[in-house]
Formats: sequence, C-alpha cells, structure tokens
Amino acid sequence: MKTVVITGATSGIGLATARKFVGKGYNVIGIGHSETNCDRAKEKILSDYPEAKIIYFVANLMQLSEVKRVADELEKYITANCNGEIYALINNVGGVRSWYQTTAEGYEQQFALNHLASFMLTYRLLPYIEMALGRVIMTCSNSHKGIKMHWEDIMLKDGYNPLTAYKQSKLCNILFAEALNERYSNNGIRAYAVDPGLVNTDIGNKQTGGVVNLIWSLRKKHGVLPEIPAETYVHLCEQKTAPKGLYYYLCRERKFSREVTEENANRLFDLSEKLCGIKYRDLVVEL
Amino acid sequence: MNVFITGASGGLGRAIAAECASRGYKLFLTDINEEGLHSLQTGLERQYGACVTTRACDITKDESVDEMLALIDASGIRFDMLFNIAGIDYEGSFLERECRSVVKIVSLNVEATLRITHAILSRRRENGAFSLVFVSSLASLYPMPLKATYAASKRFLTDFAEALRQELKSKNVKVLTLCPGGLPTTEEAISGIAAQGFWGSVTTNRLEQVAFETVEKVQKRAGLYIPGAANRTLSFLGKFLPRSVIAAIIYKRWSGAQEKWLCTESK
Ligand SMILES: NC(=O)c1ccc[n+]([C@@H]2O[C@H](COP(=O)([O-])OP(=O)(O)OC[C@H]3O[C@@H](n4cnc5c(N)ncnc54)[C@H](OP(=O)(O)O)[C@@H]3O)[C@@H](O)[C@H]2O)c1
Repeated sequence: MKTVVITGATSGIGLATARKFVGKGYNVIGIGHSETNCDRAKEKILSDYPEAKIIYFVANLMQLSEVKRVADELEKYITANCNGEIYALINNVGGVRSWYQTTAEGYEQQFALNHLASFMLTYRLLPYIEMALGRVIMTCSNSHKGIKMHWEDIMLKDGYNPLTAYKQSKLCNILFAEALNERYSNNGIRAYAVDPGLVNTDIGNKQTGGVVNLIWSLRKKHGVLPEIPAETYVHLCEQKTAPKGLYYYLCRERKFSREVTEENANRLFDLSEKLCGIKYRDLVVEL
Repeated sequence: MNVFITGASGGLGRAIAAECASRGYKLFLTDINEEGLHSLQTGLERQYGACVTTRACDITKDESVDEMLALIDASGIRFDMLFNIAGIDYEGSFLERECRSVVKIVSLNVEATLRITHAILSRRRENGAFSLVFVSSLASLYPMPLKATYAASKRFLTDFAEALRQELKSKNVKVLTLCPGGLPTTEEAISGIAAQGFWGSVTTNRLEQVAFETVEKVQKRAGLYIPGAANRTLSFLGKFLPRSVIAAIIYKRWSGAQEKWLCTESK
C-alpha cells in the first residue's frame, strides 16, 4: 500500500485530495493545525470510506520548530507503519494574510507558511521519498505569473502588499519544484507544481480582515469545487512512469512563468537553506 | 549603533528588531519569553547576518533586571537607542477582572518601563546622541471605559515621555512617543479588528510601516508619533470634546463591539 503525506489536509483542496487518495486505496497521512479540524476531517473521510487508512498529525506549520517536531513524529510513524516509504508528499498547506505579520523567527507569514514550511518538511522526509522513488507535489497557483522574486527584500518589509506576498510565495512553490528536479530527478524523485485553478475554499477568510476578506468572499463564489483540482494530484501519482512536466492544471501540462529559471530556482534554494538552517544532501548520481 | 529592545519577541518587537537588523544595528533583545527570543535571534542572524544578544528577563522584577544589568556591565556595552515595547492589555470591565491582573498592567506598562528606562539611560554611550522610544497607544489620548487601566497606564507613558523630553533635551537625548491604533500582530488582535468593522479597519496601522517610521523619526525629531491619517484625525477631533463626553461615546461603542466579538468567539 502506497503512502501519501498531505499538508493542510483538513479543508479545501487538501481535504478533497486526501479523500480522493483514500478512495484509490492509498494510505493517507494528513497534517493540519487544529486538533478539532483534524478530527472532523478524519470523521468525514471515514464516514464515506469506513475501511480508510487515514491518520492526522497536528502541527502549526508556520513555525519551523513545529515543522521539526511533526517531522520527528512522522519519521517514527513511517518507519514503523509504512515500510519507511513515502510514495508522495503533497505540500499543499497555504494561507493568506491581510497585513505584514511575522513568525517567531521574524519571517513574513505567507512566505513562511506557503514556502518555507514545505521546504523544511521536504528536507526531513526526502530519505523516505527516495526509498519509494516518490513524487513531491506543490500546490502552486497561476498567480505565480506576472511577478518577480523580490530578492532584496524577500519578506516585503519595505512596502507590504498582501497579494504580492501571496504571488511571490506561489512562485517560490514552482521554483522549489524545479530545484528539486534539478537535484534529484536522476535519483528517481520527481517534483511537480499544480495549479488548482480558482477553487471555492475559505482560504482568504481565515486570519484576514478588511479588503482581502471582502474580495475573497466575492471571488470564491466563482471557484470550482475542490474535488476538481484533487484529480490532478491523483493523476500525477497514478502514472507508472513519472510524467516529465513541471506545471499541471486539470491533469495537463501548462505553461509557467518565464521567471522559473535554473538560476532563480538555485538562488531560492540557497536562501531557503540559510533561513531554515539546513543543508540538503547531495545525492550521489547512480548511472 | 547599539539598540536595546524590551518585549522583543512580540509582534511589534519583532518588526522593530527586523527593521533595526536590516540597518545593521547591533541588538540587545529582552522579553519574558525565552523561546521566542531564541527563535528571533536565529531568524535575524540568518536573514540579515545581524549581531544579536538576547536575555530573557522579567522586567517587573528588580532581581531579574539586576541580573541582566550585571551581564551588560560585565561586557561594558553602552547603548544608543532604547525601545520600550513590553506592555500588556486586558480587555474588560474593571470589576470583572482579577485584581492581580489589573495591577499587573501598571507594574509592567509603567513601573517596569521606568526601571528599564532609568537603567539604559544610565548606560548610554558617552557624548553620543541617544534615541528613546516609548510605545504608548492611541488609547492614551482618552479615558477609555472597559480598557480603563490600560489606557491610564499608557497615558502615564505619554505624559511622562513629554516631560522627560524637556529634561533630556540638553543631554542630546531624543524622546519619541509612539501612539498606534490597532496593530495586526496576533490572531486575537485580528479578530478584534474585524469585530470593530469599518472603524477597526481604518484605525489599524501597518506594522512594517510603523516600525520603519519609528526608527526613522526618533533619530530625526522627538515628540508624539500617531501613525495613520484616520488616527491623527480622530485624535485631533478629540481635542474639541470634553473628556467626559469622549468617555461616554467610547463606552457605547466598545460595549457594542465587545458583545459582537464575544459572540463570534464563542461560536
Ligand atoms: N482556493 C484557491 O482558489 C486556490 C488557488 C490557487 C492555489 N491555492 C492553494 O491551495 C492550497 C490550499 O488552499 P485551499 O484553498 O484549499 O485553502 P484552505 O481550505 O484554507 O486549506 C488550507 C489548509 O491548510 C491548513 N493550514 C492553514 N494554516 C496552517 C498552519 N499554520 N499549519 C498547518 N496547517 C495550516 C488549513 O487548516 P484548517 O482547515 O484548520 O484551516 C487547511 O487544511 C494553498 O497552498 C493555496 O495557496 C488555492
């Protein structure tokens, strides 16, 4: 039985995706940040699939210390219950903020939650993904287009715009996927970025206020059900040979931003290593 | 530039610390939350390569402060800037609060601030300019029912700072009093802002902007800094009304907003 780890799996796209994978017979591990929401999500899935293999771990992934703690727990669980293998890691967790807010480290929250959390968790789980010659999938967004990385002020402290921060964090998602492929595709690991499209979830109404909250309330009504993008994740995992593309929308490859270059990918990778205080292993290329 | 910051691991503290670190200032950070200080130090070092010293300290306790000062004296550090950020606020009517927590507001917001200000001013760099910031609040400008102790404690700071400013003028010390409206620092603060609807939104200040302006302003000129046009207008208009009328208006508005807030909280 193949194991899939999904972050932000208690509502929206993450929950719908967890349900789809359970339906396909996968062993699903979800991560959420509230115990109540985790319990509720688990119950929902079990009521449709009483035999489901589903477990939730609780962590506030915005804080690096919490990512580390939950990674410790996952390592133990996966070693004991999943043959030490993760077939897919779906870095889906994400959030929106209305204002400049920082984490305990003083990192801007959208950057920390939407990018650094995934960067750190992938680092910790990579050995298990490697064991399964697995896949890493980021929930990106088409809004990563039309923006450049603000390298000189990555936390956007000098003139914060919530939408810019969100878009940049989504550009980070696809740059990270690109960097992973450059480093590890020869080892059988493959990374993807998925554009879910406009989806009717509450993402813009959580921990936000003012204009951001209002705009999202109007906008989300035009969104599709989260079950629609969930198909794309399953599609990418069900292919026997790993698809070669990078960016997918509705199970098809899609054109991505010109900012997605090897140079930018490496630059972000180095910066993220520094901000997380970690160093990804150089895997030996076996020819 | 050596900077001393209290309440450093809170939302405003982190923003000011980041602002200073991005300018290459050296930081001495204190807070009661040791873990938070440690995370912030790590973050500032990684992000800016900043030079940061931290020391957890309960600044409401003489002994705890004395230990911290001994550490400072042992290394002979002298300071150029002080940000008094540590402060607490409990919402609610006076009688519904435990007496202890009400008294705690004064011992932190007022007493501890005096203790630290005295200690760090006495350890300022000789013959240099010194910048001193008090984080007061827009609440300090009026008597505030349901925030009575908090507002009065901040009133103390605003008045004290204004007077101290005159005393220290000749000593090349600039004193700035920051009076922000709402700051979106915690989840709680944000739901509070949302509960106040339109007024919540317009009186909310942008954290990164307040941090930048405060660090800029205190080095250029001293005085009162009220961020945000809406807040400045409110405080200006407030001057024309008797204080008793203002208190009555605030009471009406707040009791309404609080009811709404408590309702959404318990949902
Ligand atoms: N909706 C769209 O139109 C859209 C479009 C493009 C991309 N996306 C991306 O899709 C992803 C999922 O968003 P969504 O629309 O499905 O939103 P959502 O329903 O709010 O889902 C976000 C998930 O992340 C969890 N979460 C939030 N903060 C967390 C934290 N600090 N620690 C741990 N978990 C946390 C949430 O938990 P709770 O359930 O407890 O809140 C929830 O499970 C995001 O990366 C987003 O950027 C969405």
